[in-house]
Amino acid sequence: MGRSLFDLAIFIGKRLLYLIPVLFGVVVITFFFTHLAVSDPCSIWFPRSKPATLAACRITFGLNQPLWVQFWDYLSNLLSGNWGTSPQGVPVYSTIATALPATVELVLASLVLMIFIGIPLGVVAASAAGRWGDHLVRIFYLSGWATPTYLGAIVAAILVAPALGLPTSGEYNSFTPPFPQVTHMSVVDALLAGNLPWASDAMLHLIMPATVLAFINMGIATRMTRSSMLEVLPLDYINSARMKGLSEFVVLYKHALRNSLISTTTVLGVTAGGLLSGTIVVEEVFAWPGIGSYAFNAITGYNFAGVIAIVVVFAIGVVVGNLIADILYGILDPRVEWR
Amino acid sequence: MTEPVLEVEHLSVDYVVGAGRFHALRDVSVRVERGHVVGIVGETGCGKSTLARAIPRLLPRPPAEVKSGRIRFNGVDLLEVPAWKLPTVRGTGIGMIFQEPLNSLNPAFRVSVQIAEAIHIRKLREAGAATRTSSGGEPFDYSRGPEVSRSEALGHPFAVGGTAAETVVEKQANRRATREEVLEFLRLVRINDPETIVNLYPHELSGGMRQRVMIAMALSARPSLLIADEPTSALDVTIQAQVLTLMKELIDEVHASILFITHDLGVVAEMADEIGVMYAGHLVEYGPVQEIFEHPRHPYTAALLQANPTRYKADGPLSSISGSVPNLSRLPPGCPFHPRCPIARPSCGADPGPSLELVPGATDGPSSHRVACPYFSEVASPV
Repeated sequence: MGRSLFDLAIFIGKRLLYLIPVLFGVVVITFFFTHLAVSDPCSIWFPRSKPATLAACRITFGLNQPLWVQFWDYLSNLLSGNWGTSPQGVPVYSTIATALPATVELVLASLVLMIFIGIPLGVVAASAAGRWGDHLVRIFYLSGWATPTYLGAIVAAILVAPALGLPTSGEYNSFTPPFPQVTHMSVVDALLAGNLPWASDAMLHLIMPATVLAFINMGIATRMTRSSMLEVLPLDYINSARMKGLSEFVVLYKHALRNSLISTTTVLGVTAGGLLSGTIVVEEVFAWPGIGSYAFNAITGYNFAGVIAIVVVFAIGVVVGNLIADILYGILDPRVEWR
Repeated sequence: MTEPVLEVEHLSVDYVVGAGRFHALRDVSVRVERGHVVGIVGETGCGKSTLARAIPRLLPRPPAEVKSGRIRFNGVDLLEVPAWKLPTVRGTGIGMIFQEPLNSLNPAFRVSVQIAEAIHIRKLREAGAATRTSSGGEPFDYSRGPEVSRSEALGHPFAVGGTAAETVVEKQANRRATREEVLEFLRLVRINDPETIVNLYPHELSGGMRQRVMIAMALSARPSLLIADEPTSALDVTIQAQVLTLMKELIDEVHASILFITHDLGVVAEMADEIGVMYAGHLVEYGPVQEIFEHPRHPYTAALLQANPTRYKADGPLSSISGSVPNLSRLPPGCPFHPRCPIARPSCGADPGPSLELVPGATDGPSSHRVACPYFSEVASPV
């Protein structure tokens, strides 16, 4: 094993193979949980219907068959690309294909904020360890950490956003943008269409939900950066960098941070993967048409196919987040070999 | 007589840890003349490394606390330089070689990047010397340049080679020149095949190689003073000999002023012009190397020379100094060495004795033989 691109490709391939058992497990667990928990979903989907209608419903959704047959049917459909439909007949796949990119956009935006605000705050805290700068940073990230998501989101939506004049609902000012939605990421679509007013509008809409997500989850990046900076700073190579005549800024942000980022990256990758499923409340509050809103609706509407697909997507998010973190880890630390 | 490169005067440094206060340095005065090598010898924990780090102001401020003294480097008191200007003193002014070659190179950057950084900073300062004139007022000639602008002190985080006004061609040429210079310095420290070594990461090098790279890095800034803090202690014996030989050759080649810190008397005997002997944060004896080796005047120096295993004779056990180094937070009253001293008298426990007095017979000069013991005439020369 080494550090060539070939080794990296094998490494990625192996990690993607691990996805298969993980996803199978996720499908099994969610399938049986949802189907065992609710004995007769048809009566919930279509309350106050005639018995004949309910019987027809059971036949349409295959609910009259033994559970393992239902599972087998679901699995073979899934493998052939049919992710099932909601009780109302809306295909799950097409809904997720529009909702997931919106959430990914939101998560990436908050990740950018976490990286460019959270990490420098960690450096500031470490270089001022034990002094007032350190305490201020700690107060800041702990208050984010301690904020319940629903509270932070609501306060941001009804107090902060109006004060700043920022929009708090949806992706654009209108539901029907005058350009094709290729990626279903609001800013990217507007930019692809070359429509700058809409792109800036989309960005304004992105600011509040992304900031709330970042504020609540930033603490982990700051804290990780601070503690690994404190491990690196007393080492001799920091002093030997100082002894070259480098300024303290370069010593901190080039020589020390480069080595501290290794653990921060790992944590951020895991956080970002987990954030996909952490956006539910924020998306509900800010009417963001992402997978979180969809998950909320699928669960409250007993949309089994939708719930399973969402859980699978969240699992993929966690695994891919970890994988990206591992790749970055190897890029940042030249001692790591792809294994 | 020319001005010395470095003049440490009555430096006292404490470490404040919890409730304790450790007297790491007490009233230490050291002087490095231009082109001289000054060795500082002492046991582990005697404050040698604190001295080495105190000079370029590397000591972390809690816990270290400079109590008193002056560190005059090329005429400027370093203790009065504001923290943000310190980078201008380091590198081209004072270079440093650390004890642990394993930890003194950044694991994340290639050898070429790390040495090029030092060269780049020197070039910037040399260029500044040519185009900029000093703003006057305070004397700021730390090393070889005039005052450095704040933006330069703040740094050039990622650039290797040149200012913004340069064209692409110039930049490429500069980069090539810097790389050539990196190779040159690697050759200077006798690294075979420098073209391969520059592209390696520190973890791909052996300990001896890393220490050579470290030396090349320190020298590539062309410092006017080089501080070597036990540069060979962490290496095994054969590599030690190689690195020492290298340093001895380099002393002649680059004609540097060096403060050489070590616990190994044999090392200073070969390299130094003057040596200072430290005990428990005190400088107990200072003088020309030959005189100290032939006529040690402090009982501690004499005992140290006696305990040197190179003087081991087949007919007896290794000689050692009885007792142990005192705890720096609870130094004995009086002379710090008196509990272990063979010629101590009752008064030694109360009277701290003189701080470095001229030995009779020595001509008075900045680097003449001085000792911190009033009963020096009783100290026997080693056989």
